[in-house]
Amino acid sequence: MNCEDVEHFEIREVLRCILHTILFHRALGLVRPKDIDLELFEITYVQCGDVELERKIDEKIDQFIDRVEKHPNKKNQICLSFYEVKNKQATWFTNKVERLHWEQWYINLNVAQHPKGHLGKSHSSKVVVDPGDIATEARSARRGALESSLRDVLFQIIRFVNEKKDHVPPIPNLEGVSFPYEITISSSSDSAFGMDMFKRMLQTGHPTMLS
Amino acid sequence: MDLHGYPQAEHGRFEQILNQFLLKSLHIILDSRVPANRPSSRGGEIKKSDKWFNLALGDRPAAMDSLSFWNRSLMEPMIIDIILVQESPNSSSTDMFTETVVERWIVQYDSQRSLAPQIGDASYKKTYKKSIILLRSVYSTLRLLPAYKAFRKQSSSKQNCNFEINYKICSFSSPFSREEEESMKKYSFTPVDAQQGRLSVSVIYREDLSDFNLDAFVSCPLEIITDYVGSLLTDPMRAFPSTSSEKSRPTSFPIRGKQSNSSSPFQRPHSWTSGIHRDVSTQQSQPFSGSPPLYRSPSFSRLRSETAPMSIPHPMMARSPRYLSPNLSDPSRHSLPPLSPRNTKYDPSSHESSSGIRSVRRHDSLRAGELSNTPINVSQKLSRDAKEDSGRFSSLLSSSSSPRVGFSRSSSRLSFQDDFGDSDFSCPFIVDDVDPPDSQTSFLLPHSLNLDGRNSSDVSSQTSSTAKKSQDAAVGALVHMLRTAPPLRKDSSYYTSHSSKIEIEGEVGAASEFFKPRKTSDALEELKVYKEMKDILLSKSGARVAGKENTGT
Repeated sequence: MNCEDVEHFEIREVLRCILHTILFHRALGLVRPKDIDLELFEITYVQCGDVELERKIDEKIDQFIDRVEKHPNKKNQICLSFYEVKNKQATWFTNKVERLHWEQWYINLNVAQHPKGHLGKSHSSKVVVDPGDIATEARSARRGALESSLRDVLFQIIRFVNEKKDHVPPIPNLEGVSFPYEITISSSSDSAFGMDMFKRMLQTGHPTMLS
Repeated sequence: MDLHGYPQAEHGRFEQILNQFLLKSLHIILDSRVPANRPSSRGGEIKKSDKWFNLALGDRPAAMDSLSFWNRSLMEPMIIDIILVQESPNSSSTDMFTETVVERWIVQYDSQRSLAPQIGDASYKKTYKKSIILLRSVYSTLRLLPAYKAFRKQSSSKQNCNFEINYKICSFSSPFSREEEESMKKYSFTPVDAQQGRLSVSVIYREDLSDFNLDAFVSCPLEIITDYVGSLLTDPMRAFPSTSSEKSRPTSFPIRGKQSNSSSPFQRPHSWTSGIHRDVSTQQSQPFSGSPPLYRSPSFSRLRSETAPMSIPHPMMARSPRYLSPNLSDPSRHSLPPLSPRNTKYDPSSHESSSGIRSVRRHDSLRAGELSNTPINVSQKLSRDAKEDSGRFSSLLSSSSSPRVGFSRSSSRLSFQDDFGDSDFSCPFIVDDVDPPDSQTSFLLPHSLNLDGRNSSDVSSQTSSTAKKSQDAAVGALVHMLRTAPPLRKDSSYYTSHSSKIEIEGEVGAASEFFKPRKTSDALEELKVYKEMKDILLSKSGARVAGKENTGT
């Protein structure tokens, strides 16, 4: 997917949108859907209406943003994976809880790198105001392109979610997010990144990489 | 559905899922496309019926209440058209509306005998699980498609909308023309395998809605009516605060509107009597007959209904139905002048006999000896009243429940309940779904209200004949009527029986909280209001006449 660079201040909204959309389609317990309008884009996405979930996601996004700040030159990735807990084996050595991941989503964001001095805190919502109309036009064009990319991503998610349904385990009788999930953040240097991704893709066999 | 080797229970379960799937998908689509007049109740306990597919949506939209489901075959596709209604730019005097299908949703169960039957208890469970995911996708997609913006605009700024969203549900539909198809895109959701078939949902949608100029702000080019009579909302009219605050005021209003529509010669081509169901030919094939032909949002219809007192800040538009006095949101419909049902007759130059608003104004204006061109203007306005009344009525009805088919809510609930016991399955088999029928819908819709083409002729003949008769009645008749009949109506004969009157009252009344049964005391109060209004109008026009004389000399 051709993706535009994401500005720092857009990261939060973009990630929230994507993560919640994925979760909405995989949280198969009883939910009361909540429509959320993005502020920066004309897109409405759906949340599960679970406060705990929202909190967790925001936490992870904060972590991601921190990571991006610390390692601006690396490609940073968020991975959302759903697993099943299998076989609590109490062995002599470990009390192992095996997690069987049945679905993993990788979200890669290219965060726009700004030369120093232009941006303050990365997650501030202040837009750099360049003099002149050209910059403004360019920015709005970029914003428009990012919005349509984001919309495409959401459509992709919906498509994937529907295409592959057989592997979804039976739904436990829970409300909200019925399956255990985890969100991990990883970043790798450019060179090794591709290999990592490739490996992961081979392992999971799931074409769910969003970049 | 045949039961090739399926145990009865399994088959029954599947049918139940299919039925609920259709209902749920309809619920989702209507909730996301058709602005609701009543506030959605999201808080509180989730009803058992709402727990299907683990997607709690709140109350079903009013539009669904009236749909007759029990005679729908589960095998037939459910086709939901979302229609954008706009006033034609070319229309000169009368309002011609263009209706464009912006989205067509097709939900169906494709029965394919060739599919190997899935044997085992898990089959319907898997189907259920997958359909949960499918419905979530439908829900999200509805928010990503272009029509969502239109829906949001309609919902939020009803007053400034130059369009409306209507819907139509049927089992078959005419295919799109080639031009239409070219501008539309199709999106099909991955079907869900089910017993001997597949559940599929697809949508054909118009990608580009910029042609419709949905963002246009409407309130600009308004005509000034020179014989502006005065509004309830302006000072003189504020003399009756009780009127404006009384919620029972507009009770009969929408009904009048409806009448006028049927009797008016200015009937719009898309009047709700003919309806959008014209391509639903037979009763049988009209399983979802519920959608009102024109689900008018209050912005369109409300405008006209409140024309009698025009609020000064917004000069009345003789042509377009779009103006709206700022105070006229739904709850403030009470600020309508109490419309006198009997005064419709004062309108020799106008053919519509049924708008109470018109009648009041005409009566008074004639009395005051206004200029001769007044009646014409008034009648123009009034003709709009008629249309708008009906639109408003239809809007009200659509919001409460469309009276398409005469049936009672209790019978329609057959489909909403299921007879199968609960099980080890995570889906809510509604065993004891005993939600008491809402007050909004617990009534019988009289057949006289069935505004399909079939019956409209009956209705219109009734109304026109009585309209003519009542044209000769004077204020005394009005008083009489106010005293005798609790509900205020333009033409009492519209209803074939008293009971049906009550039902209609109940129906419309139930639609929103400001419709309550009328009492004689209410009627008497209204009479007082009329008298005061009349006095004020007289004084005003007296002053005006005097003024004219002065300038003339």
